Amino acid sequence: MKLINNKIFILLFALAVITSCKKVINVTVNNATPVLVVQGNVTNQTGPYTVKLTSSVYYTEDNIFPPITGAVVKITDDSTGITDVLTEQQKGIYLTNTTVGAVNHTYHLYISTGGKEYTSTSTMPKQVFLDSITFLTNTGFGQNVTNPLPNFQDPAGIYNAYRFIEWYNSKPSKQIFVFDDRLSDGKYIARQLFNDSAYIQPGDTLQLEMQCIDKNVFNYFKELDGTDPTNGQPTSPANPTSNVSNGALGYFSAHTVQTKKKVFTK
Amino acid sequence: MYATLLISLSHLQIMNIKYQVFILIPLLFSSLLFGQKLNNKFSVNGTVRDKSTGETLIGANVIFIGQTGLGTTSNAYGFYSVSAVSGNYKMVISFSGYQLDTLIINLDKNITQQIYLDKGVNSLQEVTVTAKKKSDNISKPIMGVQKLSIDEIKNIPVLFGEKDILKTIQLLPGIKSAGEGNSGFYVRGGGADQNLILLDEAVVYNPSHLLGFFSTFNSDAIKDITVYKGGMPAEYGGRLSSVLDIKMNDGNNQKYGVSGGVGLISSRLNLEGPLEKDKGSFTVSARRTYADLFLKLSQDTTLNNNKLYFYDLNAKANYKLGDKDRLYLSAYTGRDNFGFGSTFSLDYGNLTSTLRWNHIYNSRLFGNTSLIYSNYSYKIKINAGNNNILITSKIRDLNLKEDFQYFINANNRINFGLDVIHHNIIPGTITASEQSSFNNLELQKKLSLGSAAYISHEWSATQHINVTYGLRLSSFSALGPGTFYSYNDDGSTKDSTKYNSGSFVKTFTYLEPRFATSYKVNENKSIKFSYTRNIQNLHLLSNATGANPTDLWIGSSNNVSPEIADQIALGYYQNFKKNKYEFSTEVYYKTMQNQIDYKNGAELRANENVESQLLFGKGRAYGIELFLKKKYGKFNGWIGYTLSKTERKIDGINNNDWYNATQDRTHEVSVVGIYQASKRWTFSATYVYYTGNAVTFPSGKYNIDGHTYFNYTERNGYRMPTYKRLDVAATFQHKKTKKFESDWSFSIYNALNRANAYSIDFQDDPNNPQKTQAVQTTLFKLIPSVTYNFKFL
Repeated sequence: MKLINNKIFILLFALAVITSCKKVINVTVNNATPVLVVQGNVTNQTGPYTVKLTSSVYYTEDNIFPPITGAVVKITDDSTGITDVLTEQQKGIYLTNTTVGAVNHTYHLYISTGGKEYTSTSTMPKQVFLDSITFLTNTGFGQNVTNPLPNFQDPAGIYNAYRFIEWYNSKPSKQIFVFDDRLSDGKYIARQLFNDSAYIQPGDTLQLEMQCIDKNVFNYFKELDGTDPTNGQPTSPANPTSNVSNGALGYFSAHTVQTKKKVFTK
Repeated sequence: MYATLLISLSHLQIMNIKYQVFILIPLLFSSLLFGQKLNNKFSVNGTVRDKSTGETLIGANVIFIGQTGLGTTSNAYGFYSVSAVSGNYKMVISFSGYQLDTLIINLDKNITQQIYLDKGVNSLQEVTVTAKKKSDNISKPIMGVQKLSIDEIKNIPVLFGEKDILKTIQLLPGIKSAGEGNSGFYVRGGGADQNLILLDEAVVYNPSHLLGFFSTFNSDAIKDITVYKGGMPAEYGGRLSSVLDIKMNDGNNQKYGVSGGVGLISSRLNLEGPLEKDKGSFTVSARRTYADLFLKLSQDTTLNNNKLYFYDLNAKANYKLGDKDRLYLSAYTGRDNFGFGSTFSLDYGNLTSTLRWNHIYNSRLFGNTSLIYSNYSYKIKINAGNNNILITSKIRDLNLKEDFQYFINANNRINFGLDVIHHNIIPGTITASEQSSFNNLELQKKLSLGSAAYISHEWSATQHINVTYGLRLSSFSALGPGTFYSYNDDGSTKDSTKYNSGSFVKTFTYLEPRFATSYKVNENKSIKFSYTRNIQNLHLLSNATGANPTDLWIGSSNNVSPEIADQIALGYYQNFKKNKYEFSTEVYYKTMQNQIDYKNGAELRANENVESQLLFGKGRAYGIELFLKKKYGKFNGWIGYTLSKTERKIDGINNNDWYNATQDRTHEVSVVGIYQASKRWTFSATYVYYTGNAVTFPSGKYNIDGHTYFNYTERNGYRMPTYKRLDVAATFQHKKTKKFESDWSFSIYNALNRANAYSIDFQDDPNNPQKTQAVQTTLFKLIPSVTYNFKFL
């Protein structure tokens, strides 16, 4: 065994040039026929509420998404039976006139444009209140990363889904944060919102909007988030299942809203 | 006799599984008893071994010179048996890489003859000596089969210099890499979970380390590798597209030895020796990576408390109990450990062990009983703020196998056996602290029972025609206890039924015919045909690119039907220049039923209703493979080319139209060259070229809440860029002494420093937010490595 010690523990390393690298390449893709993209919201806050209609564009075009003007947009409150015909206030932005958002109410969206009709339905869930925002710092691989945690009590026995929107020093984050209570029904929830890049620094102000959303809207945002390449590539990305009919992209969401702010101090 | 058996077998299909097994045993034995007249024929039998180490030699040729067609090959335990009318015979035993041996056999009674072969002095000599029986590939009705010995892969360059059998087989036609530097592979259009990977008969559920970059097989511990791309013998079953049968070394039964190596990524050490000379031996091989040891050297606490390593431990022992009995015990364990500070850790790995008993019932009947245990598990620990969570999952198999080989005469051999396997899958358990945001969760464990009986007949019908045909009757039952659900199309629960422990919830029984024949046109040419049906009852759910250690295995059930593959293949084989060159081409067509895909946004994790998240459809794969190999000489190697197509049609995907499977690559070329320049230096190079995978790229874009997202229209309608890579290696052998030998192995992965695409992502251009760009990620460019190997004799 002495021999082994003498002979073998001569470590000789060639340099491993682990060269994980990125570069921009040219890719030729097909041009899909532009389709309607819906972003519609009804909240428990005072209206008016907006429905924004745009069009998708070819991959090769600039990121300018044409508004869809002159559409007929209606929202019907199932509970009151009142139908509100929305007014196009700016190009492609349609505002409600009479609708009053309320929890447990179901809203039907109707859109008619370009000779096609689209519908969607969303129910505003019972509101769950955000108690506070806390922060947690994770240590690992040469970096300390701080993430915010919304703190709230999930109601037991019913389905709840949540969406969070972050603003760092008033700058909105583009990241999608959604989760439901599939694995945490009835628990007091303090769950990290894992940020990809915009890490919070001491002294930064975080503003957090908490939305209680319905199951279809949750699925939509979960799947939309899944197509985002920064979240790791799925085998075969596909368009998320929209709750708007007839091949439209986007969503229509009736949800509750609550906003809190907190300064991160170390 | 066989007709009766066939009829009986098909009747059995409708009978309860419990009884099938017991009825088959007498059937098989009666076929043996009545199938034969044994007058004035005697047999010679024994075991073929390496003279210096006592390792058994698998697939050695044993032939009687001058007696056309009188001969056999040694089985998986080196056992052979040849029968002939009484008389004097000249028996020649040959094995690739060994000097042949000639014995005079006086066959006036049944005799036992142990055979010991010497390693060939050099590979050149071998050509002239053994040319006579080097054309097995021509005469045998085996198709779609590739055998590799560890010696053969020793000189082939690989990533980080880690010898890796799973990467080397990817250089063979019809076997495709699952990705850059990945040990996962696709065979003839099948998925990575459709390969049956056996280590001393035990199923290895996750054959990869470090998220797929290394295989779990430490080459030091491996003796023999056989890959079946089609035409699997009836003894194998359970996966659709291939069988990778890996056999571990037995260990030197003559003297003790120590060998090992030090490489860029890991170090290896192997110990072997006799338990009792000529009677038994043992071997233990260990390997560990040490990237994390370097992290520990760092002063930075954010670095030095991370964990990142894997290890493998293989052990095997065998002991001869008498002239007719031998026991083998093999075990393997390997685990990966990742730790991200104290907040997150993941560890996963396999544990397998096999206890085998070889028994020679008589000079013609060889039997083996195996008791096999296999376990794959993972454990995730999260410790972040209020959330202390432990997630565990496991798949555990208990397997009893009984295999017999009946060497009737030189023209007939019957293999038959039974196989019963019990699977216990614990899909996932979450244990969370009281203050945690998560509930405890225990998904129902899933029990199932698989059983199979098989019989196959290897028959030399004429001097030109060889046939191997067989049947495998396989059955799979989902067992209680548990609540079993059925689902509506939208995934909601339709119905649920509670089953008690031991109850049979759903049973599937199938007949899997296997047929292969070869027609020898002349000594150098043959035409072959095969038909194979395979059934798969365990399915891996994985919707991310590449292998993930937390992917879930599920069994066939009331919601998931067994996967079925039927493959036909036609081949042409020719040898040139005294068998120095082998050429073969095979055309195949394969259909696959009940293939699994996932609904949009499928929730595969911690989901009791995971079966409601699946979509089903079919697949088809066809192609032609060309293979030219130079087996001997200073310069040897091969060229492989595959032209193929793999498509799927899944209800609910791509408007229910056929689309290219991810692993569909039109062209694939691999070239392997090994040149022995001198006694000291060996040079080698491999070149790989293939069409990029089929992928889904966006055909448009849109905006949601200020963020650009992409509009996808067709599934896998695009291609990744063509992949090209050249690897080179050089091995320097130190002067051998009687006691010690060593070598240095230098290799360069991707020697041309080409930026091959690992993934292509689409995003807004950071410099011009009005534009979108495609960003290609390359994983490994040029990577040099050095390994030092040594051996004490």
